[in-house]
Amino acid sequence: MNDRSAMNSAMNDNSTWEFGTRQVVYGAIGAALYGVFSWATNFFPLPAAGNITFRPAVAVLIFFGVAYGPIVGLLAGLIGNTLGDLISGFGFYWNWSLGSGLMGMVPGLIMASITDFKDRSQIIKAVGWGTLGIVVGMLFASLTEMFTGGIDLSTALVGYFTPAVIGNIVVTAILLPILMIAFAGVAARRGR
Amino acid sequence: MLVTWKYRPRNTFIQRLDPRTRFIFLACIIFALTIPEIWDYRILVPLFLLSLTQFLMARIEWKDIRWPLFFVSILVFFIIGLNGLLSGRGGPSTVNDPNSPILFQALIPGTTWGLTVTVSKLWFAMNQVLRILSMALPAILIPYTMDPNIYGTAFKQLRASDQVAFTMDLAFRFFPTFTRDLTITMDAQRARRYEMDKLKGGLIAKISKLAPLIIPVTMQSTVTGEEVIDAMDLRAFGTAPRTWLKKLKYAPRDYLIIGLGVAIFITCCVLKWGFGIGGFFVPDFFLNAVTG
Repeated sequence: MNDRSAMNSAMNDNSTWEFGTRQVVYGAIGAALYGVFSWATNFFPLPAAGNITFRPAVAVLIFFGVAYGPIVGLLAGLIGNTLGDLISGFGFYWNWSLGSGLMGMVPGLIMASITDFKDRSQIIKAVGWGTLGIVVGMLFASLTEMFTGGIDLSTALVGYFTPAVIGNIVVTAILLPILMIAFAGVAARRGR
Repeated sequence: MLVTWKYRPRNTFIQRLDPRTRFIFLACIIFALTIPEIWDYRILVPLFLLSLTQFLMARIEWKDIRWPLFFVSILVFFIIGLNGLLSGRGGPSTVNDPNSPILFQALIPGTTWGLTVTVSKLWFAMNQVLRILSMALPAILIPYTMDPNIYGTAFKQLRASDQVAFTMDLAFRFFPTFTRDLTITMDAQRARRYEMDKLKGGLIAKISKLAPLIIPVTMQSTVTGEEVIDAMDLRAFGTAPRTWLKKLKYAPRDYLIIGLGVAIFITCCVLKWGFGIGGFFVPDFFLNAVTG
């Protein structure tokens, strides 16, 4: 079995919106990883400019969306963000959890078209859709903060949305290609 | 680096409540404040006191709660409170009442631009802090007072599908495993002179250098996933409705709390839309106290 067919059978043998055992398990794994990495960077924050924070967990979330589909991306973001907040003791913020879910779901929409995780054009496509997911997810979370947090539009866009989007896009652009190439190797070795 | 759930069993009223009750009550408080957009201190103060009572009744030890409270306080007082005080934005337009007495003003010479703090903005900032704390305090309690093993069951019994509830349950089980994997990977990389605390180079270089931690843990998890899928498929997961080991049952106290939450939500809606009560205004006692 060559690399391409191995990856096809590993990831794309289900329809995009199927919600079966594979989606349950990878949704849970994505959520746990997103939670673990979010929690770890709370302890070891990465230095950044201004109020921009880098969360490597976001690249993992988008990778799970791209590799396993929108349902997995949605569950991983939604549950993972909740887990990370809970374990850090911050409580439950439904709008940021749902925003993270959207961030994982949108790149999942191209799962069926990603057939070669080493192909440069497909990696660029994944990063592009990941960026779109980040914008959609963070815009949702920032704008809903106007109702839950009572902030105004400019604070939502300048204080919340912009720093989150910049940091997340930078992390995704750097780490997602590395994750995809590593995954291509693992899938080929596993042969399924 | 050990991952520990913040939860600890305590014999308190809050922990005797059904987890579903607490989720529903939290949702009622959030919706009561946000959907009818309540800014009236006569409603905010009782709701804040209710949330504070819940918080105190949970009897969480100070050493456990001090850091989360510190972070939430910074967010609430410095970001949201100061924003309200200085800009007055984020609430109803009546906050920026041009006739409100000025408490402090610093304008750029020769212009009308600058900083103006009015009585109205000060009152608004105080109300905003109360409003956020009313929603945040019950949420902060959850990780400390709700058994992580019960989340899956709670969501299932809140009418979530087996798939969603099982995803939730599985995620909580995987969390400590992946934390252990991350710790082992960190130790292994440190043995190879990898120092996470002293990442050098520019921003891109620093993020790239995280790959030796993130990639092994993530790739190992995808392999683990295949084994779990096989095990679940062998047990015919998804072919028929599942049964759950734990069963949650509402007690009379749960109905009482859910009833209270729903009553709060309905009252806020009726007061705002039926009687026009709940909007922002500066009470006379505050105006007199501040302006002397």
